[in-house]
Amino acid sequence: TYSNPKSLLKISLGFPIRELQKMFSSSQFEPNSAFSGGGFMSSQPSQAYESSSSAAKNREFQGLVPVTVKQITECFQSGGEKSGLVINGISLTNVSLVGLVCDKDVSKVTEVRFTLDDGTGRIDCKRWVNETFDAREMESVSDGTYVRLNGHLKTFQGKTQLLVFSVRPIMDFNQVTFHYIECIHFYSQNSESKGQQVGDVTQSVSTTFQGGSNTNQAAPLNPVVSSQNDGNGRKNIDDMILDYLKQPACTARQQGIHIDEIAQQLKIPKNKLESVIQSLEGDGLIYSTIDEYHFKHVEL
Amino acid sequence: MDTSSPSAFVNGALLRRYIGQKVRTVIQVIGSDTGSVVGKSTDDLQIVVRGSSPPNPLTTYLEVIGIAESDNSIRAETWTNFGNSFDPQNFNELCKLANGEFKHMFI
Repeated sequence: TYSNPKSLLKISLGFPIRELQKMFSSSQFEPNSAFSGGGFMSSQPSQAYESSSSAAKNREFQGLVPVTVKQITECFQSGGEKSGLVINGISLTNVSLVGLVCDKDVSKVTEVRFTLDDGTGRIDCKRWVNETFDAREMESVSDGTYVRLNGHLKTFQGKTQLLVFSVRPIMDFNQVTFHYIECIHFYSQNSESKGQQVGDVTQSVSTTFQGGSNTNQAAPLNPVVSSQNDGNGRKNIDDMILDYLKQPACTARQQGIHIDEIAQQLKIPKNKLESVIQSLEGDGLIYSTIDEYHFKHVEL
Repeated sequence: MDTSSPSAFVNGALLRRYIGQKVRTVIQVIGSDTGSVVGKSTDDLQIVVRGSSPPNPLTTYLEVIGIAESDNSIRAETWTNFGNSFDPQNFNELCKLANGEFKHMFI
């Protein structure tokens, strides 16, 4: 219970996030009780979101990943694997979102459709209501209700939809703040580059989110390194590439960094990078290493 | 899916970056009048929110989603009572993070 919500969320970046998860996640979403009521069995069992170290090691993460709609739209199809979207190298299908219900449509008897607007975007949602449990849960939400929902991402004919299996109206609005912070936390804990071995990721958020020094073999690679984005908008691509390649973790890698990795880490499409990289090479600021796709920063 | 109309997390100081754009914030209600609510942002600046039909009654904290009209006023599209036990400090920290390194996750 939230007898003293104020003390629950002491996120001055010093409060262990696992405490927060225990307080909010476990009491809000008990996977057992959520499923025992209606007999609905999702095709993939979903566990409550647990420690990030297991998440980071397991690329086929089956737990619930807290995300924003914007994150979902940005991740790419994992080609070749079973259908699922990938965020930070982790294939995921079960996600948790918080937002406002809109455009609730109960015209079909067997399903309820609505849109979830979480402030970063809108995503179409569908909930089968064959079971009383599901129908009753959906009755408690209407347009304009803030909800926490858990569901299963499905892409069909290019369109991504959320098949929802749990919807709960938000009662304590600190959960709204908590959800976005949890998204940031999960993202920053798991934004390792593909080739790295994942070591023991620290659990507490005692390190600031900017800088993010986790205890990996190599230091984590941050897309944006030092200078703060002071609202001047993006840094130009040249600087972003150079900052990334200048990180000790990158300079330590003899083989250099593959352009795909740079694209993924900086979240810049590869085609945009290619011309910039060519000009950086021409200027003698970076050089290619083992092949024409790997680059290192020229250290003087 | 549609990310064409996101609302940026703002506090009092960040509001000026998004004038004319959609923002979201939480204020502590100081007073209200017909058509407007005056509140204190999570970083202790005054914000005026104009619009029709704010919730009635108002709880201590109020979330507003709408268009930033100036560096201290918003024209509300959606209002939600956020209760009396909301923690403004955490929200304030979130605003900073959502406009900093993690901005790409939001807008």
